[in-house]
Amino acid sequence: MKVRMKNILVWLSLLVLCGTATGEPFVQGGAIGSQTDDGYNALGPVVEQPIEFPHNTHAGQMGINCMYCHTYARRSAVSGIPRLDKCMGCHKLIESVKDKPRIKKLFEYWEKKEPIPWKKVHDLPDFVRFNHERHIQRFYFREDRPVREVCGYCHGDVASMTTARRVKALSMGWCVSCHQKDHLENAATTKTSNGPNDCWQCHK
Amino acid sequence: MSSSNIDRRDFLRVLGISGAAATLAGCGNTSIESGAELVESYVQPEDFVVPGVGVYYASTCTQCGSGCGIMGRVREGRILKLEGNPQSLISGGKICGLGQAGVQVHYNPDRLTTPMIREAGAFKPVSWDKAMATLTARLGSSSTLSGDQIAVLTGEISGHQKVLLGHFLESFKSANHIVYDALSPAIGQAANKAVLGVEQPVLQIDKARLILSFGNDFLGTGPSPVHMAAQYARFRKAPRGTLIQIEPRMTLTGANADRWYAIKPGTEGVFALGIAHSLLQHQEYAHAVPAEIAEALKQYDKDTVSEVTGIHADAISHIAGMLWEKSPSLVLSGPSAEGHVHGFNNAAAILLLNLVLENRGKTLQGQASHPFPQLTPASGSTTALAKLNQAMSAGQCQALLVMGANPVFTAPTFVPFASNLAKVPFKVAFATQLDETAHQCDLVLPLLSPMEDFGTHVAGYQPSGVELAIQQPLMERLYPETRGLGDILLDLLKQRQPEAYKAFPDYYAYIKTAVTKAKPVFKSKSSDDDFWEDALRNGVLRLEAPPAALEAHAATVKVGKPQALETDVNFPFFFVPSVRADLRDGRHANLPWLQESPDPLTTVVWDSWVEIHPTTAAQMQIREGDILEVQSATGSVRAKAYLFPGIQPDTVSMPLGQGHTGYGRYADGMGVNPFKIFDPMYDERTGELALYATRVIIKKTGEHARVVKDEGATNLQQGRKLVATMAADQAELAKEISRVTQ
Repeated sequence: MKVRMKNILVWLSLLVLCGTATGEPFVQGGAIGSQTDDGYNALGPVVEQPIEFPHNTHAGQMGINCMYCHTYARRSAVSGIPRLDKCMGCHKLIESVKDKPRIKKLFEYWEKKEPIPWKKVHDLPDFVRFNHERHIQRFYFREDRPVREVCGYCHGDVASMTTARRVKALSMGWCVSCHQKDHLENAATTKTSNGPNDCWQCHK
Repeated sequence: MSSSNIDRRDFLRVLGISGAAATLAGCGNTSIESGAELVESYVQPEDFVVPGVGVYYASTCTQCGSGCGIMGRVREGRILKLEGNPQSLISGGKICGLGQAGVQVHYNPDRLTTPMIREAGAFKPVSWDKAMATLTARLGSSSTLSGDQIAVLTGEISGHQKVLLGHFLESFKSANHIVYDALSPAIGQAANKAVLGVEQPVLQIDKARLILSFGNDFLGTGPSPVHMAAQYARFRKAPRGTLIQIEPRMTLTGANADRWYAIKPGTEGVFALGIAHSLLQHQEYAHAVPAEIAEALKQYDKDTVSEVTGIHADAISHIAGMLWEKSPSLVLSGPSAEGHVHGFNNAAAILLLNLVLENRGKTLQGQASHPFPQLTPASGSTTALAKLNQAMSAGQCQALLVMGANPVFTAPTFVPFASNLAKVPFKVAFATQLDETAHQCDLVLPLLSPMEDFGTHVAGYQPSGVELAIQQPLMERLYPETRGLGDILLDLLKQRQPEAYKAFPDYYAYIKTAVTKAKPVFKSKSSDDDFWEDALRNGVLRLEAPPAALEAHAATVKVGKPQALETDVNFPFFFVPSVRADLRDGRHANLPWLQESPDPLTTVVWDSWVEIHPTTAAQMQIREGDILEVQSATGSVRAKAYLFPGIQPDTVSMPLGQGHTGYGRYADGMGVNPFKIFDPMYDERTGELALYATRVIIKKTGEHARVVKDEGATNLQQGRKLVATMAADQAELAKEISRVTQ
């Protein structure tokens, strides 16, 4: 009896170990059925926002560059949330949608001069330091790739969503898989290089 | 099957494996939490605000009186780190550890957040309206107090806060602004004034080839350590200047010296006159002093001086030889030479060497005259406190306003400040944090931190020209119920003289008007607003001005008979307190960064200790960590022994600044307060407290505790000869100078 119990426990733990020790946890682990578009079981939950912001209208139909609103992404480590007066800069002048409930809500925040309490969708652990500026400068400005594609490497095709949902794993193995690829150094050359492989690049 | 079937070892084994599995799973992104945090955006930020990118604003450091220009890195509206401001000649773009810790004054968890009134013996938080009503009931327009009935007690203070304080007191027909500095340089200043004609000459360390310093810790606790450290770096560049330090207990500057001599405390003047006597043997110095002084100096032959001071006789001719060889030189007197009964005479004798060596105008100069004398700092003294103490004791003082001074902590036991303070009917403390003195007040008004307030400062030590330093907020106020000292004073003045102050809605408007009025002095052609904006952007207004000439009054130096120190059988040890560059008189003990940074000489942290020479310790069979009782005629403290070779063998030393009982979580209960064992000894000439004249006896208590320090192995330099040193007596003069041997 005692021996059987011990064996079962040891085998059980080994099973758990196999499932996770082979490298990237989210390829095989993670919530079953929550598959991201690049094959990880790591789809993020639907996050309810104070205003259901339609990315699909702005970036999709209107074709507004992501960085028109997310203006800090090319200048800082964090992309930041667009400032409220950015929204108002356009919406003060767009009469046709002024009565829509979402726009009314926007005006309420503006009149109270209160920031909109957006919920964070793309979160990283505190020990990871991701730099937006580096990635945007490299892929958008130097390699001249389309902005929807560049932002989409990590954020998915937000232009087809309303409020954003995490559709990429954002795990270490997932980051590394991209850093290992050969990327063109700039738009005018065929020379390639990889992303940095040092621990301290992200963990500092 | 019950769980008892699994024994402990099996359980641990299973736990180990599944634990490892859990850890591996944890290496993924389990701490990513979509939707768990808010990412609030800005509503209408300034254009240059970029989240994640720091912006630098110029301001002025208020941690000590040096008036260093600083830059604060502000990100997402928060001050993160301070740097030096290159526009300021005083800081030269550098900052010291004490300055770095300035952000902890601001973020200190023990900060006061609301006004408090004493009710039935305990503090009770009240609104500002109530606090100001209480204040104006006593000190507003209806107040009948006048003259000596009201007093303001501050630390060193300059700029427009000083001006407003003066106006406030004037409105009561009072001039009772008492400036108290527990570590006042007043004795040295008086000697400078008598011999050189100015209180604080400008030291041109970088122009000297040799510095002979009698306990002057210009790198650690001098009048402008950041500026002097930069000068010192240039002094040490080729051709490398030589630094000789003579003091009873090694300071940070002493640790940097080429030659370090341990001297019996208080005999510095005798040694200086011994060197003067030796120098006068050379033909070129023979007429440097009046004949009667030259005659009197004949008593200071090297054997007599050696016996009095405890320094080897050859050292005198040795140092004199080096002074002769390496010109221009600079001779400095410091607190450990000045804090004695004959402190003034010591300092004057040391300054006499500068006259003999003709250093005036070469390495010593006068400060440029200041265009705004009303803004220059009122420098503190201990006699001022004694005067206030008497007035309080006699019941003259009806209202006392305290800011930037903590005499309940720093006053020695024979100045019963705390008990006399109780006799004052109305006591108001203006502070960012409660300290021992504020704890005894009736009303406590919470001030803005230096990172939240506007201000103007003028340093007492102006190395070149004149700087008016501007302080501006580096972030929004943390606590809505805090206010600036200037604003409170202005409110009180508006009550008393509404006509004169109605034009100024707040202190900001007051200093903006005052500074822009000074535009012609700075020869600016820009508009008022541009001039003010430039002042804020640069953090400093500079005015180039020629240095003043120094006078020479050699005849004021009294040269008496060289007197040996009396021995005291009851208290056989000299007690030399050490001033830490970070804690100073204890006002910074509330900053954990400073508590945890190791003392530069001993590496001890968060504590007090007793430094004792290893030879003396061996004789008394004292080991490191033995708890010693250090007893003087007035009191005693207990601390752990630390064996320290950088000390005169008949001397023990303890650092000041620790031993708080009401200064917040980081200060309270750390170490002991040696201010409380000082003997009532005073400098004969100035009446200032002689901080280095106390005698003590050392008693072993039999207890032992580990000294918490970063040093590692107790043997110096980890048992390896990392920095080569030798006894000063063994050094060969011929290897150091060439001219003597020719």
